[in-house]
Amino acid sequence: MAVCTVYTTQSLHSTSSISTPSKTHLGFNQKKQILFYNSGKRVANRGITTVPWVIRCSGDTVVIGLAADSGCGKSTFMRRLTSVFGGAAEPPKGGNPDSNTLISDTTTVICLDDYHSLDRTGRKEKGVTALDPRANDFDLMYEQVKALKEGKAVDKPIYNHVTGLLDPPELTKPPKILVIEGLHPMFDQRVRDLLDFSIYLDISNEVKFAWKIQRDMAERGHSLESIKASIEARKPDFEAYIDPQKQYADAVIEVLPTRLIPGDNEGKILRVKLIMKEGVKYFSPVYLFDEGSTISWIPCGRKLTCSYPGIKFTYGPETYFGHEVSVLEMDGQFDRLDELIYVESHLSNLSSKFYGEVTQQMLKHSEFPGSNNGTGLFQTIVGLKIRDLYEQITASKAAAPLEATKA
Amino acid sequence: RHMVVASAAPEKIEDKVAESIKGAEEACSGDPVSGECVAAWDEVEELSATASHLRDKKKDSDPLETYCKDNPETAECRTYED
Repeated sequence: MAVCTVYTTQSLHSTSSISTPSKTHLGFNQKKQILFYNSGKRVANRGITTVPWVIRCSGDTVVIGLAADSGCGKSTFMRRLTSVFGGAAEPPKGGNPDSNTLISDTTTVICLDDYHSLDRTGRKEKGVTALDPRANDFDLMYEQVKALKEGKAVDKPIYNHVTGLLDPPELTKPPKILVIEGLHPMFDQRVRDLLDFSIYLDISNEVKFAWKIQRDMAERGHSLESIKASIEARKPDFEAYIDPQKQYADAVIEVLPTRLIPGDNEGKILRVKLIMKEGVKYFSPVYLFDEGSTISWIPCGRKLTCSYPGIKFTYGPETYFGHEVSVLEMDGQFDRLDELIYVESHLSNLSSKFYGEVTQQMLKHSEFPGSNNGTGLFQTIVGLKIRDLYEQITASKAAAPLEATKA
Repeated sequence: RHMVVASAAPEKIEDKVAESIKGAEEACSGDPVSGECVAAWDEVEELSATASHLRDKKKDSDPLETYCKDNPETAECRTYED
């Protein structure tokens, strides 16, 4: 028996404060059919919609985990992902201005820093980093992610990145798609088992260093030495607790220095690998030309304008931590983003809804970092793959009770 | 004095970054692999990342868009879908 919760939402006037949702629990008998009429009247006023109620059924939240180190482009990935589902992701309205949560119509992104058990001073006193499991409350993380997956709202703590303190909790409602992003989404086995799909952003040391220089050099107090020292100091914990999570990921995006220019360490031109696990339910890896073959492809020529150093794609089967994987690699960068359609037309299994969707998504966010290289391309592809996975899971759940009634 | 702190909130984080770097350099002068030193550099990373996020947020905001969020009825902000 499925339990559904009806949240009645009052129309959102900018002046109204947070209204406590009145909950009604409905016990569904599987043989009965219940129709909900939803007079979702659209008001042509800056996109404000009045929906009288929201129906959430238990167990229909799809949970996605995204792991990466800080300053490695998680937020750009998140923006690309939410854009695939349509609608902009925004912080919860009227709550804590320093909340880390982002909410859109379909997705809610929560930052796992909110599950720090030690605040900034606490970590300093104990001499542990945020990367250390001892600084994180995995029991609470498990309980709350499990509750959200089952369709229950939770009071999630907020780690305030500005003050370094744990702020009072915020009410988080179960979304259609829950993304948990941070340092440890796949660290605890109980949390890992809740994930329907997992992604690891693997940035090589050279590129990490180059990116942090770009990010921090203008900052007061920072020097080349301080950036280097900070990376070096965090490295042992990173290698002990964060890096091993990549073996559990369904997709890994690896960012490496280019091989097209010998000795290039600037981190401007990148070689990006999309490592996709084989045999994952509802996820079929992308391929180039012919599935399972090993291919090297230089698309530059009459149909694609490339300046120095050009673009090179490679595709083929490999093993990764003992798993069979398909690896798609792009080295180099695009000069003209609209010509990406030429590359897109040679990739298969993209899970796009129409021809050119990948290119269109990339053009929509051409100002995001990584839009002219493999990071943006592969993040967009993973976004489409997650949409496909979500649709398949929802469809199979809708079919399951039907099968039961037939039997 | 309290007023100054409130209005200068964006600068505050940059001061904190600079301060935390000094603190980390001091903490590591004795023992470069101690927990104290490592935690201090982790704090630098967290503050630098936060500072960069705040910078991006500020850079992205369009003055007209910000104004229109609060005043959607004004002539320069009205949009009709049909």
